[in-house]
Amino acid sequence: MTWTCVQIEERLSDYLDGLLPDAEQREFRAHVDACPQCAPLLAQVAHVIGRLHTLEPEPAPTALVSKILDQTLGPRKAKHDWFGWLPMLWQPRFAMGTVTVLATLLIIFQATGVRRSDITAASLNPVNIFHSADRHAHLAFARGVKFVNDLRVVYEIQSRLQPANNPAPNSSEPPVPSEQKSPNESQRDHSAIGNFTFVASLLTDASTRSPR
Amino acid sequence: MEPDAQLVQRCLRGEGLAWEELVRRHARRVYNLCCRFTGNSSEAEDLSQEVFLRIYRTLASYRTAYGGFPTWLTSVTRNLLIDHYRRTRHDRVTDSLEDVMPKVEEKHSPVRTPDKAALASELSAQVQSALSRLSPDLREAVILRDLQGLEYNEIQEVLSVPQGTVKSRINRGRIELARVLEEMGLRPE
Repeated sequence: MTWTCVQIEERLSDYLDGLLPDAEQREFRAHVDACPQCAPLLAQVAHVIGRLHTLEPEPAPTALVSKILDQTLGPRKAKHDWFGWLPMLWQPRFAMGTVTVLATLLIIFQATGVRRSDITAASLNPVNIFHSADRHAHLAFARGVKFVNDLRVVYEIQSRLQPANNPAPNSSEPPVPSEQKSPNESQRDHSAIGNFTFVASLLTDASTRSPR
Repeated sequence: MEPDAQLVQRCLRGEGLAWEELVRRHARRVYNLCCRFTGNSSEAEDLSQEVFLRIYRTLASYRTAYGGFPTWLTSVTRNLLIDHYRRTRHDRVTDSLEDVMPKVEEKHSPVRTPDKAALASELSAQVQSALSRLSPDLREAVILRDLQGLEYNEIQEVLSVPQGTVKSRINRGRIELARVLEEMGLRPE
């Protein structure tokens, strides 16, 4: 049997897929080897099939499976992992930060005299923290006011006592016997008594004015 | 690996994990079939979702007597692709060969020294472009045989046509594709 070009074209895939019986396979080959039209056609089809088989499947979009599952099974709840943040602690940057904060707190507690036994769960209550801070602020203010008042009293006393304690020395005058006091000396004694009375009144006044 | 038929049975009992496994196992295959047929990744993604939605709704109608689950899945995909083709036939503007040729020639420029991955990508684009010029009947036959690797009897089941028709479509599709690719510059060395 002599094959025509049309028959060759019809059996091309059978030949390439190895579906032709041996006898037909030989006749097919004989025609193609001698035919200037069928030979390039066979070569081209064989080449294309070979290239098709080398093509890798396209990767599916990453969200495709999720979209399909959402459409069929419904939107799925995101899994809540309460301890999912724990691995973050092992990151060097986070660990360094934590150590720095702890060291800073330790230094502050040492400096302010806060002991760990003083800190209870109630201490962390915001209301208690506010009251404690308010009380300490008022106490600090009262101490400051008292200190300023005391300073004023001390300066007053110092300024009053200065002339009495340090009289101007007069080396030209001869020493006077103690039995015979001059009128100036007795006046100076009266002045000292007056000063002490004034200081006493000031202290009384300061003590009544100073806050608790 | 658990057989598909067993997973289907578990799905029918309401096990979501079994359905998830089926989807993960076959999503890429379905997406590729859609992608090769439509030549558009976005359309392929939408169609893939539609395929699995249809499969999910009609899973109870699947019988092992129909053949393997992949064959059934391919058959559903093919029917949906044909529906889609008919639906969008009037909207589609087919590119002329002249529009494609300059791109192909540009890719063949001797200045470029593309690596293996780039060559594969170029070939894939050429094949995609050539496939889009075939009629749907020939295109699906070639895709199922040479890109999806189905046997003749499986294609016969998927297309629901006699084996002689399957062989004829594959043969004509291959020859047509070879001619188009030859015009685009793909020739044996």
